[in-house]
Amino acid sequence: MTGEDLAARQAELVAALVAGGPLPAGFAPAPVEAARRALLRKRAGDVARHWPLLAAGLGDAWPATFAGWAAGRPTNGSLRDGWDLARELRDQGTLPSLGAEELAVREAASRYDGRGAPRPRRLPAVARAGGAVAAQLAGRVRLLRPAPR
Amino acid sequence: MTTGPSGVGIGWRSEIAGFVAGLPGLRFVEVVAEAVAPAGPLPDGLAELRGRGVTVVPHGVKLSLGGAEPVDPARVAHLAGVATALDAPLVSEHIAFVRAGGLEAGHLLPLPRSREAVAAVVANVRRAQAELPVPLALEPIAALFDWPDDELDEADFLTEILDATGALLLLDVANVHANARNRGGDPAALLDRLPLDRIAYVHVAGGAEQGGFYHDTHTDPVPAEVLDLVRELCGRRRPPALLLERDGHYPPAAELRGELDALAAASGYPVVT
Repeated sequence: MTGEDLAARQAELVAALVAGGPLPAGFAPAPVEAARRALLRKRAGDVARHWPLLAAGLGDAWPATFAGWAAGRPTNGSLRDGWDLARELRDQGTLPSLGAEELAVREAASRYDGRGAPRPRRLPAVARAGGAVAAQLAGRVRLLRPAPR
Repeated sequence: MTTGPSGVGIGWRSEIAGFVAGLPGLRFVEVVAEAVAPAGPLPDGLAELRGRGVTVVPHGVKLSLGGAEPVDPARVAHLAGVATALDAPLVSEHIAFVRAGGLEAGHLLPLPRSREAVAAVVANVRRAQAELPVPLALEPIAALFDWPDDELDEADFLTEILDATGALLLLDVANVHANARNRGGDPAALLDRLPLDRIAYVHVAGGAEQGGFYHDTHTDPVPAEVLDLVRELCGRRRPPALLLERDGHYPPAAELRGELDALAAASGYPVVT
């Protein structure tokens, strides 16, 4: 194995674990599948720390909801992963109230285009998500209206 | 510079900062290096511990020393900066890779136990050592699977890396247990073949059985088998320090104190609670 081989084979293995890539030749399927699932559980915990209300709102459904969304989708970091998932649940109408409030507050505070790192908004802003309304003025964010329970 | 790790310690996390601050005998903690900004003020709890003379060791998790590509100089510079900010006697990282082909794995992945992988790790460790102000300790990881083309066994793989780099060993006893349980092998026999005189300190953590595998979760209690291995290790050569890692699902304080006391009892070091 040359250095270039090692690089290519490491890339294949990571792709199999996080991007839905095929199992590289010679690896035992069951242990690699167990590792793929373990990575999803760890990632769910990391995202829950960045989006505690989203995770709490989903409760017992959080691990499976996150894993279902994240499988085959490489991470963009816990902040963006949670943001993208919250927006998807909002669009499906399945975002829980706590998650809607957390998303509204984040959307009011920062501009996030879904492709790069979120940036703090300079101008006053109002944001809505799932019935929750949040406003930001001079960097201070308030939840104006909670999401319906 | 503060003194090297000694006695029973615990991984400092912001969620348990109050608990850690309340441990009267504590002389040593570890902090995840990526969670500290070298230029900014230290987190409150850490600053207080440093004020008490507690040794704080930065523990990197994202250097990817086992990556086939050269280690990122900015990440090495960050680790070096954290070591300086904390006045640390050493830093630690893993024998693992965490990204490849532009994708983040999100956790530590095992290397093939091959000569080429040894060469890749050694080159990266040397690059890091050239920039670090203090010694580096290397931690072998827990993995659920093996590469198909291992040329070396675990002991030879680790010893070759340590010999070629002069690095210290951070031995994770829970990882030794997990690897033996999931990938086969006798954990006590591995202890017999590792350079125990190179151990800077030891990690101990909890885990759980799930889906036919033992998972090194850091969110479950330390199992009896891991404490047995601590005793096996200390019977051969007691390391200077042992550190409990807990990364979530924090139990009530009494339970966490119990785990620290069990570590003290198994190693013969004074209780810190």
